[in-house]
Amino acid sequence: MDRTQWLLTESQLREWVRSLLDAGNSVVAPVEEDGVLLFRPLTSEERAILAPSGKTRWSPKEFLFPRSEPLYRYTLDGGEVEIENPPAPQRPQVLFGVRSCDAGGLLRLDEIFLSGTKDPLYAARRESTTVVSMACAAADPECFCTAVGGSPVGEEGSDLQLVPLEEGWLLRVLTEKGEALFGDVDERWQDAPAAIAKEVEKLERRVAGQIERSPVKQEWSKTLEDGFEHEAWDRLAQHCLGCSVCAYVCPSCSCFDMNHEANAWCGEQCRSWDACTFAIFTHHASGHNPRSTHQERYRQRVLHKFAFKAEDDEPFRCVGCGRCVALCPAGLDIVDTVTAAVAAIREEGADAAR
Amino acid sequence: MKNLFQPYDVSLESEMLEPLDFNRRSRLKETDRCFKAEILNVIRLTDMEKLFQVRILDESEGERFSFLPGQFVMVEVPGYGEIPISISSSTSRTGYVELCIRRAGIVTGALHRAKRGAHIGIRGPFGTHFPIETMKGYDVLLIAGGLGLAPLRSSIFAVIENRADFENVHILYGTKSPDQLLFDYQYEEWGRIDDIDLQVIVEEPDNEWTGPVGLITKLLDGIEIDPQRTFAIVCGPPVMFKFVCSRLSEQGMPMRRMFISLERRMHCGMGKCCRCNIGSTFTCMEGPVFDYWTVMNLKEAI
Repeated sequence: MDRTQWLLTESQLREWVRSLLDAGNSVVAPVEEDGVLLFRPLTSEERAILAPSGKTRWSPKEFLFPRSEPLYRYTLDGGEVEIENPPAPQRPQVLFGVRSCDAGGLLRLDEIFLSGTKDPLYAARRESTTVVSMACAAADPECFCTAVGGSPVGEEGSDLQLVPLEEGWLLRVLTEKGEALFGDVDERWQDAPAAIAKEVEKLERRVAGQIERSPVKQEWSKTLEDGFEHEAWDRLAQHCLGCSVCAYVCPSCSCFDMNHEANAWCGEQCRSWDACTFAIFTHHASGHNPRSTHQERYRQRVLHKFAFKAEDDEPFRCVGCGRCVALCPAGLDIVDTVTAAVAAIREEGADAAR
Repeated sequence: MKNLFQPYDVSLESEMLEPLDFNRRSRLKETDRCFKAEILNVIRLTDMEKLFQVRILDESEGERFSFLPGQFVMVEVPGYGEIPISISSSTSRTGYVELCIRRAGIVTGALHRAKRGAHIGIRGPFGTHFPIETMKGYDVLLIAGGLGLAPLRSSIFAVIENRADFENVHILYGTKSPDQLLFDYQYEEWGRIDDIDLQVIVEEPDNEWTGPVGLITKLLDGIEIDPQRTFAIVCGPPVMFKFVCSRLSEQGMPMRRMFISLERRMHCGMGKCCRCNIGSTFTCMEGPVFDYWTVMNLKEAI
């Protein structure tokens, strides 16, 4: 396939980031803060970490779906209410150095916010965002993208892709949006030879080989849904503390709360991250709670990733970044949970009473 | 009573019924917009519930606002929050909507303190509705328990105002005690209409109560149902509609002809926030009105 691709050196790559900044983009890239790798808007191309060891603590979803954002503000004057819409979207944004799994996570957010009623705030932000992904040079211990249909060099959700190779960084254009990110291509940039594809495959094989997780199979969705009431869930969810760190670090979790922040004179309606693993998530004012136990809530989260589907061939809502596995204080592992649940349902039948 | 205790025949499900065509959107299509509204009147119903008559301030927007029985709106009280409330008024009533609200949490607490003239916001209407049009030409059972009369009242109006389109109409209502009866001032009016059977039952009578005592299912004992010619709308807490619906299906009624309204916490109303999810079903979009067959096939729905 004839595609636009170049091989860049580190200084060329940084120069390119510089030019993106100069063009007025907000460039969000992995940086290190107090020893933690995080996505932050860059002030200088020097801060960007081009060869990170490990993945960022948080996924980049907050740059499309902020942790908390005002939907509108209002002021009260006597009996009068004045409503003010949130500011129009900021300058164009480049998400730089996003891992393949996280780029896939952004597509999962699109499914929620752009299908049906389009969310105008999200849509505007998405429209002005270009995703430059970075293929993985190594897998982290918690990674399992290959187990859920992903790949360390997956292109899903990326407009441009960087692949770290021995020869330098391979930069590939994947979408028109990605192409539009270049003003003029630097003449000094070296076209990548066609044979470079071999090197990319080699990298994919090597990194995928580091992931030692057995795959989660598509047909398990049906099994899991059939075994919804299976007693195994009591056991599997026993250790869940309901802290919801899994949902907060997840690149595809999109549950939110609508909360009012207000005093007697003014206020704002905000949309803030929330999680289905919290006890009050579904709690009605009347006291009724459709998911009243933490087993039910943990099951909801796991099955929402792997089982509940509108179409049979829908991809999983889990992209395999493994953050929830690495950060769970109770050591719960979503792949182990799903595998064990399927095994129990198959062994004891879907109807084993709870 | 010939059909009583006839075992429920699942094959009846197949002859019924295409999935109902739910007209979710009203003529007011901007569900992401909050309309400024004013509380016209506050009517005290019981110690816990008040009826709010609410008018959209902008006249042309108010005129375009239409809804169908069973739909709900999001009510926003500035500074407190936003809650889903089903519409209790008649669909033919223009100018204002009526919202029957129990004092239960922060927002409803603030509403109960609000005075006539206070400004609030409403969005909507949202969700599916009771298929009143499909029910025309059939016997109709309208059954409510407790606060369930609030979402049912709109359907009661729809049936009463078009009485000639329906065959036998039964309105059954039950609460825990007589002081929890909602809209008690209207029973007289509804009951006097020719050929409408209105019955009210309470579980724990007080000294003045002269009506029947017991659970709502007791009222069904006295009613002859033609399972093939009847539609039912059942509103109330899950335990109540479960008993009523399984009782009706024992009598041979197809589950697809029983309609219930599910209560879920909803925050966005647009199928985004995932709070009202039952599996992958968004109650705010695909509900809150479901037929009972669908509900029985939704895990964790009840």
